[in-house]
Amino acid sequence: MQNIFRRLLQRSDDLHSDAVRGARAGLAAGDDVAALQTAAGLENLAVQTYQMALTFPFIGGPQAKPEVKMFTERTMAQHSEHATAFNAAAQRLGGKPQTGPDPKYAEVVKQAVPNIKSPVDAVGLAITLEDVAAQTYVKDVGLVSTAELRQLFASVAGVASQHKAILLLAQALLKANQPQLIARPPEIAQLPAAAGSVGFPDAFYPTAMAAPVEEGAVK
Amino acid sequence: MSVFGNRVQRAQRAEMAIGERELSQLTRELDELHESTFPQVSKTIDELAANLGTVVRQPSTRRSFFLGAAGAVALGAAAACSSRPSGPRASSSAAPPPAPPETYPGDLKLVAVATALENLAVSAYEGALKKAGAGELGAVPPAVATFVQTAMKQHADHAQAWSAVLSRAGKPAISDAPLSITQDQMAKFAAVKSIPDLARFALNLENVAAQTYTFAVANVSDPSAIMTAATIQPVETMHAAILNFILGDYEVPDTLIGTGNALKPDNLTVR
Repeated sequence: MQNIFRRLLQRSDDLHSDAVRGARAGLAAGDDVAALQTAAGLENLAVQTYQMALTFPFIGGPQAKPEVKMFTERTMAQHSEHATAFNAAAQRLGGKPQTGPDPKYAEVVKQAVPNIKSPVDAVGLAITLEDVAAQTYVKDVGLVSTAELRQLFASVAGVASQHKAILLLAQALLKANQPQLIARPPEIAQLPAAAGSVGFPDAFYPTAMAAPVEEGAVK
Repeated sequence: MSVFGNRVQRAQRAEMAIGERELSQLTRELDELHESTFPQVSKTIDELAANLGTVVRQPSTRRSFFLGAAGAVALGAAAACSSRPSGPRASSSAAPPPAPPETYPGDLKLVAVATALENLAVSAYEGALKKAGAGELGAVPPAVATFVQTAMKQHADHAQAWSAVLSRAGKPAISDAPLSITQDQMAKFAAVKSIPDLARFALNLENVAAQTYTFAVANVSDPSAIMTAATIQPVETMHAAILNFILGDYEVPDTLIGTGNALKPDNLTVR
């Protein structure tokens, strides 16, 4: 995941500064609607993906750890609420709600699902979706035209990034063959030292993987 | 890591040798990634500073005010002094003099709040390391030690970013935490006696920071300031998520990051 991340960063043409320039230029109200619809599409896809993940025996079935199942259910519910919030804002601006998934990442999920054989595979896919969502919303904070929308995007970005933090930690423990440490209450004394930092890799949240404003707009 | 003494190092060696190696490698890669993304952020900071004022450089003299009673007194005195304008007192019969111009006008006031808040976080984690080193928190799990050190470094990066804006805008550096919450936070920190205490204390501070940045994105007008706050806010929420995990809560508690506990310009005690 980190190597993918690095390559994307290297390829990016300083999207962080692009976001600033976009904010300086300002977006029209129509672009605000498109950004909200794209965000709703990402949220819809997250809901669908977590729903699908819950059908795997190791996420929502008898083999699943209760902590994993509860996290998945709660996270799915939060994404559903985010979709509702984005669509409500789009409709207040005269736009249509986005009821479908983000088209680009729906394809990513479609291709990934047959290869999900274990919890670590599922967690990896979830990290990708949470990260793309968070990066998109961080960038959109600098693109949308009103203070209310900036706050909405930031409010949701902070939650998607929290999902990512927990998933990164879980992924690291799974890859280290220590699934027993995903427990409630956690055996903090048994956690490896690196578990204390693996959940927040960047001092400043990147935006290189942000979805373009129009990606999930309703045509 | 050395501040925690031999106990933590022994624990690290004893536990999970294989997983530890893999995770340490992962952490090194992530640290390199951080170093590679920081220049992009620096560019944004430069743009923000250019928008807000003239370039000047001032030395930083951060106080580690969570490190002991003497520091606490110094901070309290500094906060009290800095909340009053300096200069001769006006006589009671004369017309009141016009209020001096604000040191940090406009967006710079929230930049000053952010700088002070990040300084507060850095000092809190520094204080935590000192308490841990002195054995005042009981046994310190290796993961908690790493959390404290890494979060402290990221807060220092944030403080540095905001300080650069103030400096380049020609404004006085903020090297401590002139905030209305500081005294209360210091009292709460003094009561921290265990790792769960520390996690709860830090969680509150991280949540305040996250909410402050959520407030900031809607209440500053400079595009670069908006993006700087936007890219820091998720990092604070991620710190909070791991602290929640340490406290036994896997699920993310709130569906939206609120602003009810955000610091606002009025929380700055420097005029």
